[in-house]
Amino acid sequence: MATYIQIDPTQKLDPFKSVKKLPLEEYFTSGHRTCQGCESALVMKMMAKAAGPRSIILGSTGCMYVANTTYYSTSWVVPWMHTQLGSSGSAALGTSAALKVLMRKGKIKNEPINVIAFCGDGGGADMGVGAISATLTHAEYNSLILMYDNESYANTDIQLSGSTPWGANTTFSSPGKVKRIMHRRWKKNMAGMMAAGHPECKYVATICMSYGLHGMNSIRKALAIGGPTFIHSLDPCPKGWDYDPYLSHEMGELAVNSGVWPLYEVENGLLRLTGRTEQIAAGKIRRVPVRDYLLKQGRFAHFTNDDIDYFQSKIDDMWEKWLIPGVIPFRRDVEADTPPSS
Amino acid sequence: MGRLYAIEVIYRGIFQKQLATRITRSIVLAAHEEGKLGISFGRYGDSPERNGIPAKGFAIVADDQLTLEEGMAKYEPKEVDVTIAVDDTLCKGVESWAWYGLQPVNKLLKPGGTLLVTSREQPETILQMAHRKETPYNLAILKGTVSFSGLWVYKDDHTDVRILGAIAKILPGLFTLKSVQKTIVDQWNDSVKAESAARAYERISSVAVRPDQGNPETPYKFNFPKWHEMGEGIAIPSIPAGKAIEDPTTHESGGFRPDRNPTFKKYTTRTMRPVVNFDTCIKCTLCWLQCPDSCFDVTPEGLYDANMQACCGCGVCEAVCPVKDCVTMVNETAFEDNASQWEAWRKDKKGYEAWLADKIKSRPERSHGFRYRGQYEEQVPEMLEVARKG
Repeated sequence: MATYIQIDPTQKLDPFKSVKKLPLEEYFTSGHRTCQGCESALVMKMMAKAAGPRSIILGSTGCMYVANTTYYSTSWVVPWMHTQLGSSGSAALGTSAALKVLMRKGKIKNEPINVIAFCGDGGGADMGVGAISATLTHAEYNSLILMYDNESYANTDIQLSGSTPWGANTTFSSPGKVKRIMHRRWKKNMAGMMAAGHPECKYVATICMSYGLHGMNSIRKALAIGGPTFIHSLDPCPKGWDYDPYLSHEMGELAVNSGVWPLYEVENGLLRLTGRTEQIAAGKIRRVPVRDYLLKQGRFAHFTNDDIDYFQSKIDDMWEKWLIPGVIPFRRDVEADTPPSS
Repeated sequence: MGRLYAIEVIYRGIFQKQLATRITRSIVLAAHEEGKLGISFGRYGDSPERNGIPAKGFAIVADDQLTLEEGMAKYEPKEVDVTIAVDDTLCKGVESWAWYGLQPVNKLLKPGGTLLVTSREQPETILQMAHRKETPYNLAILKGTVSFSGLWVYKDDHTDVRILGAIAKILPGLFTLKSVQKTIVDQWNDSVKAESAARAYERISSVAVRPDQGNPETPYKFNFPKWHEMGEGIAIPSIPAGKAIEDPTTHESGGFRPDRNPTFKKYTTRTMRPVVNFDTCIKCTLCWLQCPDSCFDVTPEGLYDANMQACCGCGVCEAVCPVKDCVTMVNETAFEDNASQWEAWRKDKKGYEAWLADKIKSRPERSHGFRYRGQYEEQVPEMLEVARKG
């Protein structure tokens, strides 16, 4: 069967050895209209830097479309195209297929071109999950889908998304006087879902650009491995998480070091915890309390100590009770879930 | 036709959204007390707002229905009686995240209108920032610490009611202090706030600004592209790559300066800017790498020069810099130009050292938002104290 699948050659993208060896060129540059301290803009910059000049970027609706390419204006150096909210998967597949045909017909030079489609958590985890899933089953088309996750519909002023964590204040879940916790769902596990459910997908990873070199090397690996790949990036959002913009970098570090955001990659079915998460799992460093992460964010300002303890217990479960810690939430035993009364 | 009153509030997106809404809404409510009609609204092109990027809200009031309708049927008023800048660094100009280029802060003011600024600075500092205007206007300063908070939060430091009190004095035809106080008590049932409004009413004073006073620079402009210039499929040209930088002393070139979007600069987006001590820089790359706005140019010797075209003043560079006092965020009011710091350092290291030490001195704490739980509440007493004295 495998002989039917013709994976085209990809660009040779060796990992960057250190931050001092990074190319100076930017392919996503200044002059976008994002918030002060926008980590998603940082993801775009590093994604473009990692992919290099021979790349086509596709963006579904979200902050990184609206704020970066308003009216007759752009910050992109490489070709970029807008696609609809839920269609980053379709756009990636279609563009990759079109390039294949154009090259076969000799209309354009035959060379490996990176195709990257990005989407936010709203466009990816909520609306676009079907299209992303479909793309990840088409093994013969090289593409990367990068989901930048700021845990809400941040562009339209912070509405709740499938990626919003438990208890967070959003425009749809403002804490009230009678009910304190207005959002009672846990965050969707996108990377785990994509990795577990798509045997043709050779690479799935989670990243956080507070660890920029790690994130860029994951992107390079995803582009070089061939076939459809998926990366899920957690992006602290000063507007929606309500914190001082200068804390953006630290917030990402806290998410990883508290164990809330595990870094891992699944390469050809092989799971590997990476970066700080690997060190946490190996017991080399201790997880910092989730409290440190939560109390720096205005969206959790209404939390009581019970809420913080409950949040911590859920993160502890993730590391101690999940069959594949930090990745897939299967358990051996059924346990009672006892959230604090609100 | 009756008299039409237009007031605009220029504010920092998200950080002052609640503040601006409270001001414009209360203006209309207070005018309503005197039988006038009005409407308050945010400028459509500023929504959805971005942290720190200038935005505008308006209050339009009229004596009668027809005049109000005539005044409302606009995207934004052509001229206003009072412009309120709730952050003094906005006096450098207003570049909304929609598509205008840089507008002087006093652009919409009628001849003889008043620019009301919340600031701890003196009028001279404000006038160094505000662009010159052909017609005379008045400048009034409401003494106080600039009020910033988050998307859902209004930091209750009385900035809103003090501005209302000041307007009653500046524009007596609109409403009286009595109406302002009634609106305040009706909305928030707080007599202390009503007193704050009265104190602002008594103390606010203004200075006349002549056409030859103010920042003489021409505001940043670009050629508006035409619809018929778009390519097939509504395509527009991408940004060119970038090129090496030339050293101003040796004329050697090296490093890298990315080309930048010519239609959106961040000259007015920041309330702080980084100053860099190039002598202590260890070239760790972190400021350059972690800057979400790609604002750092790489110099031929591998230093990082924050380019003021692109810096939005988030402060991440200061936060990630491992060297003590190498990158320092300084209040934007302390600067008169956007020149390269590295070039100044290359040309005159001693002079730069003195300049740097001087700038770092004027480094007031300027909180952008939520740093830890309880911070907003902690800030309020001090802000109220400044307001009481002012």
